[in-house]
Amino acid sequence: MEYASKHGAGMAFRTLTPEQIREIHSASCRVLEEVGVVVHHDEAADLLKQAGAYTDAGGRIYIPSALVKRALESAPSRITLYNRLGEPALWLEKSNVYFGAGSDTLIYLDPFTGERRPWQSSDVATALRVVDALPNLDFVMSMGLLSDVDRRMINRTQYALMLKNSVKPQVVIAEDRGTVADIFEMAAAATGGTEALKHRPIFALYCEPTSPLQLPFESVDKLLLAAENRIPVNFACGAVAGASTPVTVAGTVVQANAEALCGLVVHQLKNPGAPFLYGYGDSPLDMGTMVAVYSVPEALLLQGCLCDLARYYSLPSWGYAGCSSSKAFDEQAVVEGTMFTLIGALQGCNLMHDVFYIESGRTGSLELLVLTDEVISRVRYMLGGVDTTPDYLAVEAIRRVGPGGNFLGDEHTARHFRESWRGNLSDFNNYDAWAAEGSRTMGARIREKLRDIMEAYRPVPLAPDAEREIDGILRRAEERLAG
Amino acid sequence: MSSLKELAELVITGDIQKVKDATKQLLEAGEDPLRVINEGLIPGINEVGVRFKEGEMFVPEMMMSAQAMKAGVELAKEKIGGTDIPTAGKVVMGSVKGDLHDIGKNLVIMMLESSGFSIVDLGVDAPVEKFVQAVKEHKPQVVGMSALLTTTMPVMQEVIRALDKEGLRSKVKVVIGGAPVTQEYAEEIGADGYAPDAGTAVELCKQLLN
Repeated sequence: MEYASKHGAGMAFRTLTPEQIREIHSASCRVLEEVGVVVHHDEAADLLKQAGAYTDAGGRIYIPSALVKRALESAPSRITLYNRLGEPALWLEKSNVYFGAGSDTLIYLDPFTGERRPWQSSDVATALRVVDALPNLDFVMSMGLLSDVDRRMINRTQYALMLKNSVKPQVVIAEDRGTVADIFEMAAAATGGTEALKHRPIFALYCEPTSPLQLPFESVDKLLLAAENRIPVNFACGAVAGASTPVTVAGTVVQANAEALCGLVVHQLKNPGAPFLYGYGDSPLDMGTMVAVYSVPEALLLQGCLCDLARYYSLPSWGYAGCSSSKAFDEQAVVEGTMFTLIGALQGCNLMHDVFYIESGRTGSLELLVLTDEVISRVRYMLGGVDTTPDYLAVEAIRRVGPGGNFLGDEHTARHFRESWRGNLSDFNNYDAWAAEGSRTMGARIREKLRDIMEAYRPVPLAPDAEREIDGILRRAEERLAG
Repeated sequence: MSSLKELAELVITGDIQKVKDATKQLLEAGEDPLRVINEGLIPGINEVGVRFKEGEMFVPEMMMSAQAMKAGVELAKEKIGGTDIPTAGKVVMGSVKGDLHDIGKNLVIMMLESSGFSIVDLGVDAPVEKFVQAVKEHKPQVVGMSALLTTTMPVMQEVIRALDKEGLRSKVKVVIGGAPVTQEYAEEIGADGYAPDAGTAVELCKQLLN
């Protein structure tokens, strides 16, 4: 049974023992069999019934473990996500780690003025270009909830902005089936048609249950549409431990796992072999302030559990990184964002989102985004592990230099020093040199980098006819919704 | 034989069974049911409120205390018979149509109940007509609506319009909340108030009724 993460040169990390994994799996299956779920979607309820799930007089559906087992067998263990240019970009399997921003924050924190304000389309476009420019961010999400378009057009407009401002793969939130259909059409316009898009998906869809143990109509409807069109999709419980899930980490894992597995069963019944992304998250309720808080140690532990479970199930994993509960881009934001990014990478979580979230997801900070890009660079270097082949053990170099010598002039140093990690934001000057350059703090350097990107960076543009087609899809949706 | 002071202490510990037992004992010994409520159970929950504000007690403990108090009040009410217990105000609360989320709403209900409000809970996925019907039937001072989804937020506006149409709007204060909801949105749809969390919701209701 494979469950611990595997990184370079035998580096590994695990949160659970094999016994604990079996205990959690068994407890989740018991929940599905003994407690059951409420499915607010007739087709999904029928699929479950026909497959052998028991429905009681009150409409609650109890899922036998055999259905879970069958779904786990038919779901693929790897998902490849492509970029807008049609190139394979992310291989979601095993312990591969990828990072991306988040979706739908309410407030844009202006990095230069510190002003907090609702997102405008132009802010989202700018933020997406920043994500596109940063080399260690692998995928984009919608960043902010648009305050300057019709409420029903928000998700569609966000998606058009993602296509126009970045080539990177996307994870998409959409309110309903019609929105997903329009997004799919826009993606097809950018990538050469529907069939090509099914073969080379450029976006994954985010769906969620309503915890505890309810499958709302819109989520299931999207899940089924995704299965039909082979759009990679998750069914991710956004737990609020102590409120929507048990207060203990293990209890939250048991329930969130049950909900994810239930989504997987419905999804695989609809289209066996369609790609499914396994994961969930927890923002526990702070019992003093009643705020659901991000990036606390419990949330990090939960992610360790789900990563071990994902490898046990041979499913690609979905999680979080680089996010914070802090209200500002401050020391707390750096502590929380960095811890989550490092641990998520060690856990081998395939697709980690929400890099740039502060205020537990209500506000987006581009400063945290740029900082985390550098953190990811450090972390990726570490994941390479330690090379212990003879040239790296360097006994010959040690012999050459000998007692009292100096490695600086040895050819071994000249040959290998460029392999060392180098950042572009961290400062390694001595004090005098640093002071001579204006005593700029990390924050100041981050804002300077942001300004450079915002002024100079241009993403690879869409082909003009694809852009026209996308604008046409938006216009038609607007007319339809207005009519 | 427990005293009223001991009853208050039991409410603070949140032990439902012990509060029930002590309340029964007091009532059987001939204590005035209104005194049991006003000098035993209510001071207990008030102290819980104080300790919560000071960071000594937390929400789950408050929930236990509120349930214990409610159990005691039920027993005392039986003795009083039909007499209505005076409350801080009546609030109709629900998660709007299309929204199955109720944790935030339930937290607000719990906090309001602990502060002496009486609540009519419309549950989740509550259609516009259900709010209108509840206002007609229960004549509350406040209507509270919750939405976690951007897609269900507009239903809040529909409820306000429906109340307007039925001539009920001026009779109630409308307050809204939920993760995507903002003060600006409350103003946009003509609600009387918005609260970002359950504690603020209680303050807001008190302010609006003054």
